[in-house]
Amino acid sequence: MPRGSSLKVGISGIRGIVGETLTPQLVTTFAEAFGSFVGPGSVIVGRDTRASGEMVKNAVFAGLLAVGCKPIDVGISPVPSILIKTNRTDAIGAIAITASHNPVQWNALKFVGRGGLFLNRYEAQELLDIYHQSEFALVETDLYMSVVRDDDPVKEHFAAVLDYLDVEAILKRKFKVVYDACNGAGSTFTPRFLELLGCEVIGINNVPDGVFPRNPEPKAENITQLCETVKAEKADIGFAQDADADRLAIVDENGRAIGEELSVALAVKHVLSRERGPVVVNLSTTAIVDRIAAEFDCPVIRTRIGEVNVAEAMIAHKAVIGGEGNGGVMVPAIHPCRDSFAGMGIVLQMLAEKGKTVSQLVSELPSYVMVKHTVACSTEVAHSAMTSLRKKHTQDGTVDTIDGLKITYPDGSWIHIRPSNTEPVMRLTAESPSAERARDLPRRFAEEISSLC
Amino acid sequence: MNGRDLKQLRIGPSGVRGIVGQTLTPELITDFACAFGTYVQSGLVVVGRDTRASGEMVKSSVLAGLVSTGCTVVDLGICPTPIVQFMVRELSAAGAIAISAGHNDARWNALGFINFRGTYLNEYEGEGVLDIYHSGEFAKRPWDALGRVEQKTDYLPIYFSRLCSFIDTKAVREAHFKVIIDPCNGAGACVVDILCECLGCQLIPINNEPTGIFPHDPEPRPRNARQIASIVKPVQADIGFLLSSDVGRVSIVTDTGETVSEECTFPLVLEHFLNRKKGPVVTNLSTTKMVDDIALRYDCPLVKSQVGHFHTIHTMLGEDAVIAGEGSGTVAVPEFQPAFDAFLSMGLILEMMAARRKKISELLRELPRYHIIKEKIYCPPEKVHNAIDEVRQYYRNEKPDLTDGVRVDWSDGWLHVRASTTEPLIRVIAESNHKRIARERADRAVSIISRVI
Repeated sequence: MPRGSSLKVGISGIRGIVGETLTPQLVTTFAEAFGSFVGPGSVIVGRDTRASGEMVKNAVFAGLLAVGCKPIDVGISPVPSILIKTNRTDAIGAIAITASHNPVQWNALKFVGRGGLFLNRYEAQELLDIYHQSEFALVETDLYMSVVRDDDPVKEHFAAVLDYLDVEAILKRKFKVVYDACNGAGSTFTPRFLELLGCEVIGINNVPDGVFPRNPEPKAENITQLCETVKAEKADIGFAQDADADRLAIVDENGRAIGEELSVALAVKHVLSRERGPVVVNLSTTAIVDRIAAEFDCPVIRTRIGEVNVAEAMIAHKAVIGGEGNGGVMVPAIHPCRDSFAGMGIVLQMLAEKGKTVSQLVSELPSYVMVKHTVACSTEVAHSAMTSLRKKHTQDGTVDTIDGLKITYPDGSWIHIRPSNTEPVMRLTAESPSAERARDLPRRFAEEISSLC
Repeated sequence: MNGRDLKQLRIGPSGVRGIVGQTLTPELITDFACAFGTYVQSGLVVVGRDTRASGEMVKSSVLAGLVSTGCTVVDLGICPTPIVQFMVRELSAAGAIAISAGHNDARWNALGFINFRGTYLNEYEGEGVLDIYHSGEFAKRPWDALGRVEQKTDYLPIYFSRLCSFIDTKAVREAHFKVIIDPCNGAGACVVDILCECLGCQLIPINNEPTGIFPHDPEPRPRNARQIASIVKPVQADIGFLLSSDVGRVSIVTDTGETVSEECTFPLVLEHFLNRKKGPVVTNLSTTKMVDDIALRYDCPLVKSQVGHFHTIHTMLGEDAVIAGEGSGTVAVPEFQPAFDAFLSMGLILEMMAARRKKISELLRELPRYHIIKEKIYCPPEKVHNAIDEVRQYYRNEKPDLTDGVRVDWSDGWLHVRASTTEPLIRVIAESNHKRIARERADRAVSIISRVI
């Protein structure tokens, strides 16, 4: 396979490998473009724990200062905290320095607009235009601002989450919790949060040095150490976060990873049981969500992949809950962003209110099997392959083409096919109540795609 | 086009100087920091800045660039340039970047490149950095080989204890001088308090806040010394000192309130220092004849260098001189450190006053005095060569020295016409026993140049 560029410039920000493509010059120029886009004002700057974060942060400061912005340095911070601080203060935007679940040699800038939402694709396009045209609003010395430090990045965030929860109910239970922060932004903030909820807290991988002890993506296969620790400590629950603490995976009291798809499913069930309203999730999120919403007679709105797409649909539809199947719980009453802290709080409250164990809560959910698959497909033929797939399968079931192709079959099975933004592959996600069908669907489509590519 | 409207950027062997918001962009600074970091082979680099509002932007760019090339950085924060230079040797660093535009007004900023000896880079070293800059081949380090940034705050006592052991502190302390110092809210602000405390002087500070808001141009010369002059007599001070924003230069105000030309600083220190130690003296081609007279009186050889900090310093080192200085108010004593250092100049002047038990006004009266006229003419870069050549043509029968522009010597004085390396202008300096003659010579040179522009 030809080696692709290790720089990805797209609507979700810029991402690259430090020492190769993510140079301080590039970071500075993007920060200038962003500062020119939002105009002079306070811009929150936070980062995850990656070793390259300090270099990237200085480059971001330089770019922002040069265009008259006032950087608010919150240091190492969970991404949801950055978004919520942007929303609850007079900041006009934020730059989150994090490559999220990517391996340690990567870093990235994610751009946040006024109100604390990631830039949508139209805003991101405008930012890219400014970048490419080098139309930077450089200011002269008399308009320069200084960097301001904010030593409490989670203040507004924790206040909002605690306000949303029934803290009293959780406090009474004194849960024993193990968390795995992947040495990321959750390392120091997660115990602080859980202690506020009266938990007895045991941490693993909680040194915020950015040396990731495991793959940062909180998938079942990456969190075996957490599973073992929960079991050994006889804890009530285990929580795993990614490096920027926006995604959450849960381990039950028996030390079994319940699967990151169920984080959002549990949250949907809890929230709808208290307040009915629309649910917004992306196309690839588990169908368990639809089943739960149907029980409560609530509509489910499906969006394109991308956190900002879910967030904007949540606002437009006045959703009460939603998120992404990758462990991204989003509670609009707190803030429409993926928030592992909101997710942890909600699950603990479920345990407290129902007096049940995690495994009991999971056993009450409908059972589905999800299978993911990738097929090599060069970027040149990806478009034509998608077009022929769409034409061929229009009659198979309910078809959705807002992002690739999703077909939902009458038996509740579904498959979602889309070209990757980052690699020359097609991503296939299938889910079914039947394990056999969940394996069969992507296999069948993979063969078909291979013949097209 | 008016010369003042030109976009200004000056790139020389020992640094880069430009106007913030126009030419001195964060990308440019980052590139130069990367080039310097590559040049010093990812070694330890000391960074300090003066108080200018743009200093934080420049520093952020410098840190990002240095760290990306694997340099570990000791960040001294706001720090006078001579102390940055001192700390290079103290920490056995590979070099330093001093962020200060010295005497330039607040719109400017600059990077000064300093080698492992604590001196500005010479032409050959500077060539090395520029070649790397122009090739763009920077050392790009991966995430696990990036440099770190260490903040250092405890360095002032180290510097001042060394300075005080170089000066006859006991004699100065016994004199109980009352001293006015105006650091122009630059890097010397508050640091001068330590100097006075060490030397047992009562300090009356003016503009002693490190805000970077310059109450007047940060250039030590009589017209900027009026604030000091207005209070010398009312407070019965023994002497007043006016500093540049980087504490490289100093000019004097006497006990009688006379604002003394910055030309007198070096001759005064020289007159005293050659009593302590005899040896070769270095100055530049634009400096007062007072220096010639004093060197002759002490029977010390005098060598004249091209104009420019690094020329003077490197000539001093090459000639094994005991002292060097310039008409702009700088003095360097290599036995202490090979750098222009206004703290040392102030210390030596106070030592002289204590040793000779005379008022500063009396000491100055004992020096040979000449009339010096300094003019500057804005000149677009494309016309500089013609302008200088026109002057050379005019004086072709007077055996002009063409080392640096045109210098003509007569029995009763001299004239020096040269292009500034830091600004788009031509400097005309005439000195004579008779004010009228100096004035006539300067006016004539100005009119010759004006014809060409």
